[in-house]
Amino acid sequence: MQLDRRHITSVIKRLTAQVDVLLTRIEERVTGKLVAHDNAVYDLEDSGFLPNFCNGWTIFNVAVIAEMLAIVIALVSPQMPISQTMLGNVFLISLFIQWIALSNAAALCLTRKQLNRLSNLRAIAMSYCLMLCITWVVGEAALWVLWLAHVTSSPNPEWNAYFHLQNLSVAAIVDALALRYFFARHQLKQRTKSEAQAKIQALRTRIRPHFLFNTMNIIASLTRSSPAQAETAIENMADLFRTMLSDEENLVPVKNEVAIAQKYLDIESLRLDNRLNVDWEIGKFPRKAVMPVLTLQPLLESAIQHGIEPLTEGGRIRVRLWEEDGKIIINVTAPAPRTKARIQQHDTDTALDNVRQRLESYYGKLAKLETNEEQGQLTVSLSLPIRGENP
Amino acid sequence: MRVLIIDDEKLARDRLRELLNEIGGHTIVGEAMNGNEAVERTMELNPDVLLMDIRMPGMDGLEAAMHLMGMENPPSVIFTTAYDQHALNAFEVNAVDYLLKPIRKDRLASALEKAHKLTLKQLRDINEAQDQPSARTHISVHLRGNIRLVPIQDILYFMADSKYVTVRTAAEEHLIEDSLVNLEKEFGEKMFLRIHRNALVATGFIKGIEKSSSGTWQVSLKGLDKKLDVSRRHAASVRRWART
Repeated sequence: MQLDRRHITSVIKRLTAQVDVLLTRIEERVTGKLVAHDNAVYDLEDSGFLPNFCNGWTIFNVAVIAEMLAIVIALVSPQMPISQTMLGNVFLISLFIQWIALSNAAALCLTRKQLNRLSNLRAIAMSYCLMLCITWVVGEAALWVLWLAHVTSSPNPEWNAYFHLQNLSVAAIVDALALRYFFARHQLKQRTKSEAQAKIQALRTRIRPHFLFNTMNIIASLTRSSPAQAETAIENMADLFRTMLSDEENLVPVKNEVAIAQKYLDIESLRLDNRLNVDWEIGKFPRKAVMPVLTLQPLLESAIQHGIEPLTEGGRIRVRLWEEDGKIIINVTAPAPRTKARIQQHDTDTALDNVRQRLESYYGKLAKLETNEEQGQLTVSLSLPIRGENP
Repeated sequence: MRVLIIDDEKLARDRLRELLNEIGGHTIVGEAMNGNEAVERTMELNPDVLLMDIRMPGMDGLEAAMHLMGMENPPSVIFTTAYDQHALNAFEVNAVDYLLKPIRKDRLASALEKAHKLTLKQLRDINEAQDQPSARTHISVHLRGNIRLVPIQDILYFMADSKYVTVRTAAEEHLIEDSLVNLEKEFGEKMFLRIHRNALVATGFIKGIEKSSSGTWQVSLKGLDKKLDVSRRHAASVRRWART
């Protein structure tokens, strides 16, 4: 017996430690302390859409893309295909485009912090203008270099204007494509992040850490005084968590849902002792009837959290379930104390709203969830059309 | 050390009791199930250290600790908690001892070894950091080294004079060291209404608002014969309150 008890205690300790680590990890993930695969290009810390151009890998990418653009331009220019002059051309064009591209990268690297502080639309407009300006400046500089190097002898305003127009048109298209790409990437990233957050939130509403760790503490206490009770509590917790952690959103037999709810209440009554009293009144209902998994348990959890826990003396929860006119009716009645719980009223609403949303996704307008407060008692009543009679 | 155990869950108290017995060298002087009891037992039993759960029905652990700060020689407090993400950061920042549930024997032993007294400021900072900073459920009044807890819902009004604030209930009057500005901020407009620079009145007890013969406004309260003056500056807001 001594050995068994120690064994259980150590298992629980290990379990708790693991859950602790898990919760911290999840939190770090969400808050962005751990960054996903390509932190080389993006810092998750800031929310802007521009990648970090002060970074070797990004500059390399810019250079490669610029080089490809140079080759494309050389290939389509009206000259003898693949000739000596063409190679010379590729070299000159590359030099010019790399100059523009790298100046752009440098400018974006320097201004990124300021740009990312603006709204997306403004940041796009500003960086677009910035890049076009740089293209013009580099173009003008190139003309000066050509003139100084005596490649062009006399100033030719018409040709210069044409040169700028050509540069700016190409830049306008390429820059627009680049910004479009950055923005789409940014949006994808944001979406992934918010989806992850929503998932964590859903898990959090299912598993209240407070409930989890308090129960672990209670079980640790029971391993000493009453190992048999501790065993049952662990089994109940396991069943409850298996259901809560399941990915599948399923319709389950009503009797299974009632069983899970009873296991949950068994755990809570260990914790709350004689402060929690539950009356079950299960009437007749079709044996094959089904309902969405975890609809009853959240109602009970909310009743305990807001109706029983705030009361020093505790209270009574009444659960009634029966069939009426082809519907399953479930009523949960619990005290509605006017103390601090009132302030936390919005929590109750989130729990109920969650259930309400899920019911709507299963039944549309056919299911109902209503609350009614009377003489200090809050009754949540649920009405579901019977499904699963004729599978 | 003489230890008082406070937790609303019986099995959680049992666990602490057993761990303390195993550690040895400490005496458990008693147990309590909520903040009110904790304050009462502390004054009655005079323990060296409290092992106190934060979340409890009625008065929570933080509030109880705050009231106890009014004692001449308050005990050390080690808080226990299952999970309070935001508060825990504040515990770290303010160097306040806490134990996470499930409670481990070694942690409990080392916490008891280095247990030290808290200050009111530490406790206030922690309360501010909670998910929902809560207003006190009681006002503590110090009487000859003792602490009397006056439930907020029994209070008719707070009246300030130069140094103290008078707390008036239907039966009694007490003096506390606080400011009306703080009280107003803590309990908000729903519970107390400012009717004068020096008076904060419980909205639940207001019977009527009437004009006196001299033309000033006065508030009459349930269970109180005398009427309280409304200052000219607050007359508009008091009448606005009365209409809603």
